[in-house]
Amino acid sequence: MNSRMSRVVGALAILLLAAAPLYLAPFTLTLLNFIGVYALVALGLVLLTGIAGIISFGQAAFMGIGAYATAWLTTRMGLSPWLGLPFALVVTGLGAMVLGAATLQLRGHFLALSTIAWGLAIYFTFGNVEGLGNFNGIRDIPPLSIGGWQLLGSDQIYYVIWIFLLGAMLLSRNLLDSRTGRAMRVLKGGNLLTESLGINAFAVRLATFVIAALFTAVAGWLYAHMNRFISPTPFDATMGIEFLMMAMVGGSGYLLGAVVGAAFITLLKNSVQDYLPLIAPNAAGQLEIVVFSALFILFLQYAREGIVPYVAGWLPEGKPKRPAESEPLPPRDKPATGEPLLSVDKATRRFGGLVAVNEVSFDLRAGEILGLIGPNGAGKSTMFNLLTGAMPVSGGRITFAGRDVTRQPQRAIARAGVARTFQHVKLRPRMTLLDNVLLGAYTRTKSGFVTGALRLDREEERRARSEAMRQLERVGLGDRPYELAGNLPLGTQRVLEIARALAADPVLLVLDEPAAGLRSREKQALGELLHNLRKEGLTILIVEHDMEFVMNLVDRIVVMEFGSKLCEGEPAAIRADERVQEAYLGGSA
Amino acid sequence: MKKKLAFTLTLLAGLSATAMAANAEIRVGFVTSLSGPGASIGTLYDKGMKAAYAYQDEVGGEKIKLIKLDDGSDPAAATQDARKLIQQEKVDVLIGTATAPSTTAMMSVADELHVPFIAVSPVKIKPPKNGHLWGVAVPQTPALMVKVIVDRMAREGIKNTGYIGFSDSWGDLVYEGAKAQEDNGDPKVTSNERFARTDTTVTAQALKVMATNPQAVLDGASATQAALPLLELRKRGYQGPFFGTPAMLNDDFIRVGGDAAEGVQVSAGPVVVTEQLPDDHFSKKIGTKFHEIYHKVNGGDAKDGFSGYSFDGWLIFLAAAEKALDKAKPGTPEFHQALMDAIYDIKDLKGVHAIYNFSQDSAYGVDERSLVVVKLVDGKWVYQP
Amino acid sequence: MTAQIAAILTIDGVATGAIYVLIALGFVLIFSVTRIIFVPFGDIAAFTALTLAALETGQVPGTVGLTVALAILASAMEVVSLLRSGQRDRIPRRLLFYLVLPLVPAALVWASGSIILPMPLRIVLSLALILPIAPLLDRIVYRPIADASVLLLLTVSVALHFALVGLGLLFFGPEGVRTKSLTDYTMILGGIPISGQTLLIVIAAIVFAALLFVFFGFTLSGKALHATAVNRTGARLMGVRPEKSGTIAFLLGSLLAGVSGVLIAPVNTIFYDSGFLIGLKAFVGAIMGGMVSFPLTAIGALCVGILESFAAFYSSAFKEVIVFAILIPVLVARSYTAVHSEEETEE
Repeated sequence: MNSRMSRVVGALAILLLAAAPLYLAPFTLTLLNFIGVYALVALGLVLLTGIAGIISFGQAAFMGIGAYATAWLTTRMGLSPWLGLPFALVVTGLGAMVLGAATLQLRGHFLALSTIAWGLAIYFTFGNVEGLGNFNGIRDIPPLSIGGWQLLGSDQIYYVIWIFLLGAMLLSRNLLDSRTGRAMRVLKGGNLLTESLGINAFAVRLATFVIAALFTAVAGWLYAHMNRFISPTPFDATMGIEFLMMAMVGGSGYLLGAVVGAAFITLLKNSVQDYLPLIAPNAAGQLEIVVFSALFILFLQYAREGIVPYVAGWLPEGKPKRPAESEPLPPRDKPATGEPLLSVDKATRRFGGLVAVNEVSFDLRAGEILGLIGPNGAGKSTMFNLLTGAMPVSGGRITFAGRDVTRQPQRAIARAGVARTFQHVKLRPRMTLLDNVLLGAYTRTKSGFVTGALRLDREEERRARSEAMRQLERVGLGDRPYELAGNLPLGTQRVLEIARALAADPVLLVLDEPAAGLRSREKQALGELLHNLRKEGLTILIVEHDMEFVMNLVDRIVVMEFGSKLCEGEPAAIRADERVQEAYLGGSA
Repeated sequence: MKKKLAFTLTLLAGLSATAMAANAEIRVGFVTSLSGPGASIGTLYDKGMKAAYAYQDEVGGEKIKLIKLDDGSDPAAATQDARKLIQQEKVDVLIGTATAPSTTAMMSVADELHVPFIAVSPVKIKPPKNGHLWGVAVPQTPALMVKVIVDRMAREGIKNTGYIGFSDSWGDLVYEGAKAQEDNGDPKVTSNERFARTDTTVTAQALKVMATNPQAVLDGASATQAALPLLELRKRGYQGPFFGTPAMLNDDFIRVGGDAAEGVQVSAGPVVVTEQLPDDHFSKKIGTKFHEIYHKVNGGDAKDGFSGYSFDGWLIFLAAAEKALDKAKPGTPEFHQALMDAIYDIKDLKGVHAIYNFSQDSAYGVDERSLVVVKLVDGKWVYQP
Repeated sequence: MTAQIAAILTIDGVATGAIYVLIALGFVLIFSVTRIIFVPFGDIAAFTALTLAALETGQVPGTVGLTVALAILASAMEVVSLLRSGQRDRIPRRLLFYLVLPLVPAALVWASGSIILPMPLRIVLSLALILPIAPLLDRIVYRPIADASVLLLLTVSVALHFALVGLGLLFFGPEGVRTKSLTDYTMILGGIPISGQTLLIVIAAIVFAALLFVFFGFTLSGKALHATAVNRTGARLMGVRPEKSGTIAFLLGSLLAGVSGVLIAPVNTIFYDSGFLIGLKAFVGAIMGGMVSFPLTAIGALCVGILESFAAFYSSAFKEVIVFAILIPVLVARSYTAVHSEEETEE
């Protein structure tokens, strides 16, 4: 399907939605209104859960904050419902910021559990604050009105709801296709990867959390003025879980999944209510929740991905255009060849009583290729982590490009121009090759959440894409930029990681055991690529177990054994060194 | 985009299947809570409605169709149910539901879509401000329930009372009612302690109530759990009397409360003690009839007040429908208007709970005659004239 | 607040906390063996109380229907999966385990009809009825996704909780119950009465905490169970069957939940949906213990009980807010002290 056709289809869909009140029954519109409101919450959850990997059972509480904020402002203060929207956004946003700052450091299930806890705490707060009507709720909330015309009926508020929903979806789509959107999508790959790309994982996580809460606040605002009565019950844990269900059933990795999930669950509930009494006339009410939960469990057991990807699999694939050539991104300042670049001075790392790296010192000059080798357990990987800031040193000093970077966080070192690869390849398998490489250019670009969502970043984005394309071509993957990274064989994935690192225009490229796990042909290809990069004058540090692989590649070698530096010198000298032979042969014997 | 289309089409196909039908009979929509925290009283409303439907299922020669939906004790679901009943099932009148927030939610839908609503939960309905309100409430207001029992406390010479109730809307309503009575004189409310229906203990709250040295304690909880503060207060050495509301008229309350609950006095609709009422009491005849039918339809006896509200709601609807049928055909907006007008015209309708008199400026049709005081003696509620 | 009030509140808090201890220990037990955060744990406790109450009044408890339904479903799944993998010969043994064993107590209750049995027998029978539920749920719900991430298992648990609440309403009805006191004994300690019931609860909590600590710390089967949690594949290689370990953990956990249900039934009215909040509060305790250490979990759960008791005294309306809000600083503190391995929630 080409872009013109998809535009026609999109226009048709919007037309159908716009004309809905003309041909749909009033109750169907009512259902569509609920679907629209719930889809906004689910959309926030798609960003939060599907994209950023944060499971929240507490979104209903945020919806409650938004609804209560506008209800309070309009009934107690007597202000316009339209003022309720910014107020709801501000209150919910601030709430999310505080809660997020407190809990987003948590990992995995602890984070998910904390969302149940604060969700319940907020729910009980609604019920116990006198100004919010306690458990009786707030009545007589004014409807939205446009120029004195009150939007009372289902068919009137319908437009407001769906305009907000479509607007939110558009913003989210733009956002995901931008620099910060890619940063959100990389979060699921773990903190190590995210921070190594120069991204502040916590900040992106917090921003995603707040964005999700803001969408939810809009839903709460719409809900309050649609029903004109609110009480704590619709914002309790049950509803929070139902929202999560919507996002997951629809397909939590897809924006459209929010709408599909909300529609599916709402319509399913409605039909369960319609048809269950026919099957079990005496226990219909009780069975509703059982049938519902059972369906959800079955869904989680057999179709975790959701409806959207399932349906999308049957539709023809679109073929996006290759990014156009564009002016390159500004290059970094690089030190002249031969100038000292990296200096490690008595770096030490202790784990409890164990000394993994013991007072290791070495230097690296610009334009040089240095190999750091040693047998298994020599402390190479720990040394690598110290260099890149993935782990703080226990003692000693590390200087990079004249700057003391000891104990600097990983992302600061990445921003200074150190790009790395991983021993166990860390790519985003569900992102395209192009997007994976674009991640590398994160530190060289600037646009933020707002510019991304509003598409004000297109100029920079064009340049970044063109740059990413150049790097893909440089490593020989320029022919298939839109393939998913997960489909590549391991050797090619390594190469892709190098392309990603190159997109950062690194001052220093650090490779962590690039040859590990490769078949001999793949190893050969990798060797050729590194030779070429060397010719281009790139400064490279290779940490490698395979001695033969580095011998022909590097200018100098540092050998480590038992956490200490054994010796240092040119490849030929190292090859001849008895201590090295003993370390390798003795170590493996 | 293409996905969006596929989705829209399937959605529309599914939705347009919901057909519309013309009304060949009077349709009544009934919402109650069959699940969720309100289920224990929601089922009682349901049983009362079953009895009511068995009592009379046609009016003025027109058949009545009763459509029942569960709201799961959730106001959002109640809203959706109300809209579904009006917009899809085309009902002429709505009756519901078990919890106060859900009932309030339904009221605003009825107001919007102009369909008469008969509330069977004790709720606050504001008198009409600009124009016509589309609903009435059957039950005694919580304020009235509390007033009657507080008056009894005053009659017994009680100067101050402690309060302990649920941390939910019911607990709020009772507390507000008791506070409102302070202006009229004794007793003063000395404490406002709350507990949740699922709490394992109320020791702390009981201690705080006792710290205020009240002469009596007013219990603002409902059903079985209302016994919890009574048990705890007695255990901690409190000797004074207990008072409560109709929400405590429940077998499990008596069973669980045991000795501690003995002697508790609550205000109650006369339907609870129909047998003990004097023969000239307004509720004696219709109440006896109600109990008879209830027993026939549901097995067991109606010992609560809730089922009576459903029944009275039905009586109000029947009386009004009879008149409205002269003016318009069921299923039309004119009929809804006529029905609402007829409800507001109701004068001296004798129900099992009260003698109902509605008017345009009050959604409540009851007065103090609708409540009697009963006392728990040897595990039985005894009428206290 | 006088010292006496403080003492009463503390004792009350300890009694509530001890109930949480039992449930929290179950949480940790099941989590550490199966990685499943078994949210419906509180429901199991509530169902035990409801079962006991039904037996007390001579009714057939809803548990019978529930167990029969689950047993049939589990057996059907088991038979289908055995047929598919061509292990026809193992069907009779599995049927014995998944169908016959769970149905024995149900049949006993059903056969006893409306005869009201003596109290100890009622308690034993209630426990026997409740024990199969969790292992059966394990077979039906969790076994097909045993290798899924902790987060997915958690989401499934939450959904399962809602299903159980619905089933609870269906099988037990909406009314709350409260059973007869197990003992009328009251002890006066420093002028403060302590009921025998409270003592029983506290003793049960201490005994079970100690037993679990010893079992996991010092016995071979305990260590084998734990090994399953750490590394399923590794444990399998060492001859520990993860499925079996899971079943044992669920059985032990159910016993804990059952005991707490029996103990809580006389002191509080239990509804079909009472389990959630009780479970969640126990959970707060379990998290304080980091979901791994039994003694820490017990201490955490006790703290929740005492905190709740004092919070109720200062502001009864905000008691729940305080109890759940306290979890956030606790979690944050833990996240800074505990060492996390890099985890990826990768597709």
